[in-house]
Amino acid sequence: MSLELPPAMAPPQKVARSRSWVPVLLVVLAALLLLVAGTALVLARFGEVAFAAPLRPAPAADAPGAATLEKRAAAAQHALERWRPRGVYIVVDTYRNRLRLYRDGELLRTAPCSTGTGIVLRDPRNGRQWVFDTPLGERLVERKVKNPVWAKPDWAFIEEGMLPPTDPNERFDPNSLGDYALYIGDGYIIHGTLFKTLLGRRVTHGCIRLGDEDLEFVYRRTPIGSRVYLY
Amino acid sequence: MAALELEAQLAKTPAIYLVVDTVRQVVDIKARALVLDRLALHGVEVVVYRPFFSSREVPMPSLPAIWTIEAGPGDTDREIVAPKELRPYSSGEEEEEEPPATVAPPQAGPTPTPTPVPEPPVRYRAHLENGWDLWVVDALPAQDLPSRFAEAVRDGWRRLRGEDHRTRPALALAMAGDDARRLHHLMRTGTKILVLATP
Repeated sequence: MSLELPPAMAPPQKVARSRSWVPVLLVVLAALLLLVAGTALVLARFGEVAFAAPLRPAPAADAPGAATLEKRAAAAQHALERWRPRGVYIVVDTYRNRLRLYRDGELLRTAPCSTGTGIVLRDPRNGRQWVFDTPLGERLVERKVKNPVWAKPDWAFIEEGMLPPTDPNERFDPNSLGDYALYIGDGYIIHGTLFKTLLGRRVTHGCIRLGDEDLEFVYRRTPIGSRVYLY
Repeated sequence: MAALELEAQLAKTPAIYLVVDTVRQVVDIKARALVLDRLALHGVEVVVYRPFFSSREVPMPSLPAIWTIEAGPGDTDREIVAPKELRPYSSGEEEEEEPPATVAPPQAGPTPTPTPVPEPPVRYRAHLENGWDLWVVDALPAQDLPSRFAEAVRDGWRRLRGEDHRTRPALALAMAGDDARRLHHLMRTGTKILVLATP
């Protein structure tokens, strides 16, 4: 006779012993979960969160009579019409580096241009600074020059690591501005460039550079006094 | 009508201004009443920070109104170039040649600056003088419960560590990333924004 237990009797005892840790683990996990949830709830209680709601604006307190309203609207409309440009005007997009020429709202030409880098140059001698930004806003074409000569300002030398020359004649550069220049105030110019591969990029000291054909087109069609909008 | 009067005030000056039309969902870049460029909005929402378990009403701005940027992302830090020392001027260095697109600058003339200009971000905020903020974002803040709860927990943790609190209400303008970049440099101190709520 065999004294061995039936094979089915032993394994259940082993299973029961080996699974005894499961409830403990569950309790530990539940405790951890409660701890994490509690901490999160406490943190959320003190935290603030962005609530977004559709815009439902409160109307501005303004309720005059209908006749007054009409008068005011007409006056405002008239003022807007007075300010709106007429004739030829130039628009320069300094982000996309595109110049557009309009006549009475009709687009005549779009051209790639180069505008200011926004970089600051500092004079090591005295700390004086120049910001190479293309200015934003409205300007006027103050004068137009064919075959312009550039009177190089101090920064043009300092940027090259040179002292500005004492002889004023050393400042004149007949080659850099191209064939035409439209002066738009404060030393800013719409002019040509030797560096045509850089058109469409922000590489200038604030001036607006155009390619030769575009510059000639703009120069010939833009009278002095035309408005220039830079944004 | 009030909107026309407000715009007439802005058009008096030569400065660029923005017109946010919350009904037509566009931002116009304007000067002298002339639309220079138009950007489409994907959404306009008022965003306020409040406790997660609060049900306070969201304050709404009075519109139309002109808002002025008090501090904007367009006032960015700039790269500063400063030669260490200056050598005496020498005219012999003035020969110019057309350079390849990305090489070092030539030695004279209106020098191309090869330094890459950093690309503007697609999400930024401007502080306005009226105590509000203006957000330009490529997506509006997530409003589902789990996201908000997670944000509240993160903010609570930040507050526990003594980090800054955000309390200003904001008008969030959602637009395409490229449009957000185009607007970035205009978001500078003093820029006026006309916010409209009626067609």
